[in-house]
Amino acid sequence: MDTVASTGKLNKEEIFDLMKQFITEVIGEEFVEEMDITTESSFTKDLEMDSIEIVSFSEKIKAHFGDQIDFTGWLSSMDLDQLINLNLGMIINYIYECQ
Amino acid sequence: MAKFLFVVPPFFGHISPTLSIGASLIARGHEVKWLGITPLADKHIPAGGEFIYPAAELEEHLDEINRILKRQDDGPACSGPEVMKLALEETYVPFARIMMPGLSNFVDAWKPDVIINDCITFAGALCAHIKGIPSVTTTPVPPDVMGDTANSAPKIFEWQQNLVKGLQQEFGVYGDEIVIHSHKLNMVFTSQAFAGFDEVSPHMKFVGPVKGRPNNAAFDWERLAKATTPKVFVSLGTLLVDIRKEFFQKLITAFADQPVTIVAATNPDIFEVWPDNFIVNGFVPQTELMPHMDAVICHGGFNTVNDTFINGLPMLITPIAYDHFHTAKLIENSGAGVSIRYKRLRIADLRDTVFELLQNPKYREAAIKVNETFVAAGGNDKAVQLLEDFAAAESVLAPLN
Repeated sequence: MDTVASTGKLNKEEIFDLMKQFITEVIGEEFVEEMDITTESSFTKDLEMDSIEIVSFSEKIKAHFGDQIDFTGWLSSMDLDQLINLNLGMIINYIYECQ
Repeated sequence: MAKFLFVVPPFFGHISPTLSIGASLIARGHEVKWLGITPLADKHIPAGGEFIYPAAELEEHLDEINRILKRQDDGPACSGPEVMKLALEETYVPFARIMMPGLSNFVDAWKPDVIINDCITFAGALCAHIKGIPSVTTTPVPPDVMGDTANSAPKIFEWQQNLVKGLQQEFGVYGDEIVIHSHKLNMVFTSQAFAGFDEVSPHMKFVGPVKGRPNNAAFDWERLAKATTPKVFVSLGTLLVDIRKEFFQKLITAFADQPVTIVAATNPDIFEVWPDNFIVNGFVPQTELMPHMDAVICHGGFNTVNDTFINGLPMLITPIAYDHFHTAKLIENSGAGVSIRYKRLRIADLRDTVFELLQNPKYREAAIKVNETFVAAGGNDKAVQLLEDFAAAESVLAPLN
């Protein structure tokens, strides 16, 4: 599952499902059940990801997409307000554009 | 003999180590005072010392101080980047601005030889810089909790720098130099090994935990002596008032019928009845109590972390906000404990982890190793020696400045 297997380009809905799967793997199924994950979900606020969870989420993206997506580099270029306002939809768009 | 002024924030975890070093300085014959923007009860002040609360200069800021203090309760609900804003932009910088006039007047009147500012109490070093007084910084938590932002997050680094420079400029300090910390001596109350640094700048001195502050809290020692099951100390520190009840409800659910004795430092008023195996007090003589414990559960307040490893005890850390995550990572790296994020804390994991810590000797062995690095760091004696040497060297240099 976590390998560079995808040859074709994913559409945004497929990326959304994949992100949901990664989030579930990182923070645990029972905590995800309490959340309503949408493209509007704020990454740090609604999903309540701490830095260790963000690192593990980033590793999953890297394992799946390989070097075509520099998720950590993208995050580190942001200022505080951009990080606070970062939502799942923006991450999906970023991955979609990078493919 | 020298005059030392500690400049402290309204957070007891940051004040606590300064009270311990202050007591040692007084015992050596020095004059020691503290200055802060909220009053501190006399019982905390070492005999012979004095706490200065500049009431006249603070009067017009009381509402703002209270609003900022209340705002700290939002910390646990904030994301990492929001906490950075809350800490630096909404707390440390405005507190420094509020503190400056009263601090400046007191320094002119008392003329301390050395100003010792806590790491988040920027006004101390800033005032010392403006008046040409030697300054030292105290850092109660492992440094670099925000990470190496200069390299990993350049825009966040720039934001930090601009906030600090803006504060400095308000008080007439222009240029690119950051003067809110001492560049000559910064004492950190942990060991370099535990903090995870291979190399540090020579002005950073890891002195390990310090002790000796007054604490006369009463405790039912007889009841503790009667307990026959392993004793687990639980502390949530002095902040985080809002989530106290929820946290202790989890503990009750996990341990009410288990073969452990829970010794909790929290106001007992949050529940009408506690289970029989819970000993609960609002204030405890933590230093005296800790040697009787077998394990510790805490959120990552650094004084409790130090007390835990000084006694070679294993820890379950449940980080909630602020620097807790960084501390939790250091504890896991040391092997002396297990970290479970508070927001992801399941009752079964809480229970299983505590029994794992009690039964598997590897955690206790690692905790004893941490303590060896703490003892080697020197503690109070080392801190006093550094301060005396610093004061002596600066007084020789004074005519040249």
